[in-house]
Amino acid sequence: MNDGRPDQHESIGALERSAASRLRAFLSSPSATALLALGLVLAIGVAFSGDGAFHKWATHRDALRQASVYGILACGMTFVIITAGIDLSVGSVLALVAVMFSTLSIHEAWPPWLAVPACLALGGACGAASGLVVAKWRIQPFIVTLAMMVFARGLAKTLSGGMKVSTAVQLPDGSWTAAPVPGIFRLIDSRLLGDNISVVSLVFLACIALSWVILSRLRWGRYLYAIGGNEEAARLSGVPVAAMKVMAYALAGVFAAVAGLCQAAQEQQGDPEAGLGYELTAIAIVVIGGTSLMGGRGGIGLTLLGTLIIGYLDKILSVNAVPEASRLMLTGVIIIAAVLVQRRKD
Amino acid sequence: MQHNTARYMLSLAATAIVCLAGCKKTPSDATDGSSSGQADGFAAAKATYTIGMSQCNLGEPWRVQMNDDVRRAAEAHPELKMIFKDAQNDTLKQRAHVEEFIGAGVDLIIISPKEAQPLTEPVAKAMEAGIPVIVLDRRVIGDNYTCFIGADNRLIGREAGEWIVSALGGKGNVVELKGLMTSTPGQDRHSGFREAIKDSQINIIFEADMKWLEPDARKEMESALSRFDQIDLVYAHNDPGAHGAWLAANAAGREGQIRFVGIDALPHEGVLYVKEGILDATFQYPTGGAEAIDAALKILRGESVPKEITLGSRVFTKENVEAGGEPIG
Repeated sequence: MNDGRPDQHESIGALERSAASRLRAFLSSPSATALLALGLVLAIGVAFSGDGAFHKWATHRDALRQASVYGILACGMTFVIITAGIDLSVGSVLALVAVMFSTLSIHEAWPPWLAVPACLALGGACGAASGLVVAKWRIQPFIVTLAMMVFARGLAKTLSGGMKVSTAVQLPDGSWTAAPVPGIFRLIDSRLLGDNISVVSLVFLACIALSWVILSRLRWGRYLYAIGGNEEAARLSGVPVAAMKVMAYALAGVFAAVAGLCQAAQEQQGDPEAGLGYELTAIAIVVIGGTSLMGGRGGIGLTLLGTLIIGYLDKILSVNAVPEASRLMLTGVIIIAAVLVQRRKD
Repeated sequence: MQHNTARYMLSLAATAIVCLAGCKKTPSDATDGSSSGQADGFAAAKATYTIGMSQCNLGEPWRVQMNDDVRRAAEAHPELKMIFKDAQNDTLKQRAHVEEFIGAGVDLIIISPKEAQPLTEPVAKAMEAGIPVIVLDRRVIGDNYTCFIGADNRLIGREAGEWIVSALGGKGNVVELKGLMTSTPGQDRHSGFREAIKDSQINIIFEADMKWLEPDARKEMESALSRFDQIDLVYAHNDPGAHGAWLAANAAGREGQIRFVGIDALPHEGVLYVKEGILDATFQYPTGGAEAIDAALKILRGESVPKEITLGSRVFTKENVEAGGEPIG
């Protein structure tokens, strides 16, 4: 968020030059390039508006709704990537939480004020477990979170018996009936402000705000950047590296749990197969925003922009009913283009 | 450092033991069956028969249902003993299943293969070993098997198309949400449907690939809704797709003006959606589980079975759902 600021010092008497260099510095900052990439994508949307659908607010509202689950995952991913780590398990944790939330809310009749914290705790525990192994035994985050990805998927399948946890309930005579959709599901999947914004989108924006506070306003945030910049230097200057890493992965887990709640509510079921490949989208969002995979550089504002870029790209292709094969190729090309635009800053 | 390594090895060993203890169940089951089975091949009138069932992927609800159907049908016959294996969408794993079944000397194999080419030879090997093989749902190449049981997706697509033509009175705006178009079921459900509507005045105003996934179907339907003010019907290649489309229409307050048709008709999914008034119709894609056990019993008793059994489908609508649907085709 604060990486848009130029770090050049101004000198009196060179105000004009300073203003110009300020502008240049801003234009080559990650925020500006991410904004440019977003502008590019929006321009494509205006050019190919799908019979004008792109000019309706409903389309934008829906684009934001669709992108929200990915965006929430990307918030958590941002913390981990800033510490120069990676978390491949978020898609599986999403599925695990979706299964648990559906089981608790639909079949166990847990009230939301119990079910929601329990689910967040489950996600946080998964993340903290990964973080602990990464920090304490210094094993590559890639392999640790790969293990968690497989494990959480297996646990989701075990808890659900391999079936989607839906409102379907089997009666003693073998026939099926539907239990009511829980109120909390309907609440999360509703819209506010005169039908103009989805609750999941507000949840996403709240996650962005919370992440911004942690990264930019708390000491923890500075520690995370320090660890990603130079772990050894951070350790020597007294940063509690292990604890901070555990926190970063735990946060990724909690955000994955939030995404899982949103996913379950929107599908009205807990699908143990949900979230397959979502971790890659989340990583793409963070990187397209301009946060460095090498750690130490980036911010949550960039992740917001990255979410919008990916979300709009997806929506524009969908509104124009572009066939799947072309969609994959176009997505690949546009991601590369966006990253190349970003590269100007170096 | 060495201390740590020792600890790793220990925990690794512990994990391995736990895993092995867990895995051991299936092989021992298998040997139990074979000790009685191998002695006299598949001569008639044995006390018990062991049937090995290899499922290509239990990640799909429809395949879970297939296993359930097989299990339930087999439970009615105490002389049958089932061994289930799940290949987890891995062709080579499924190949190993067949080899394991041959090694264990089961009396009959039921296989729902992931792919034709790589599983043709293992199936032939089982036949050579004198073990009859029932192939379920997806085919193998050639005819070196005992019996193939499957439904016809193209026919189901055509039936759905005809139902839609008559439901809409021959004209209207339809959204088609396709499964994976790189998969045969997706292609057949598409081409059968298009065949049935080609002489009507039905317009496909929007079509998209939702990859059999509910969230993707919802996303595509939202795009269709924001583009078109008049949508009369959604035809989705599976019930979760139709449900996802309904969720999108429901959120837009337009579900009342649109009809929704899906395929698969699992009792706890599509059929239930029809009962709830979410879907207007769903077309059953039968698993053939019960039919496979029927055929297995006949084969084991030495009776003849047709080389190919094509399963009939049923349509479930508001009117007939309580009565259990109506047969079609």
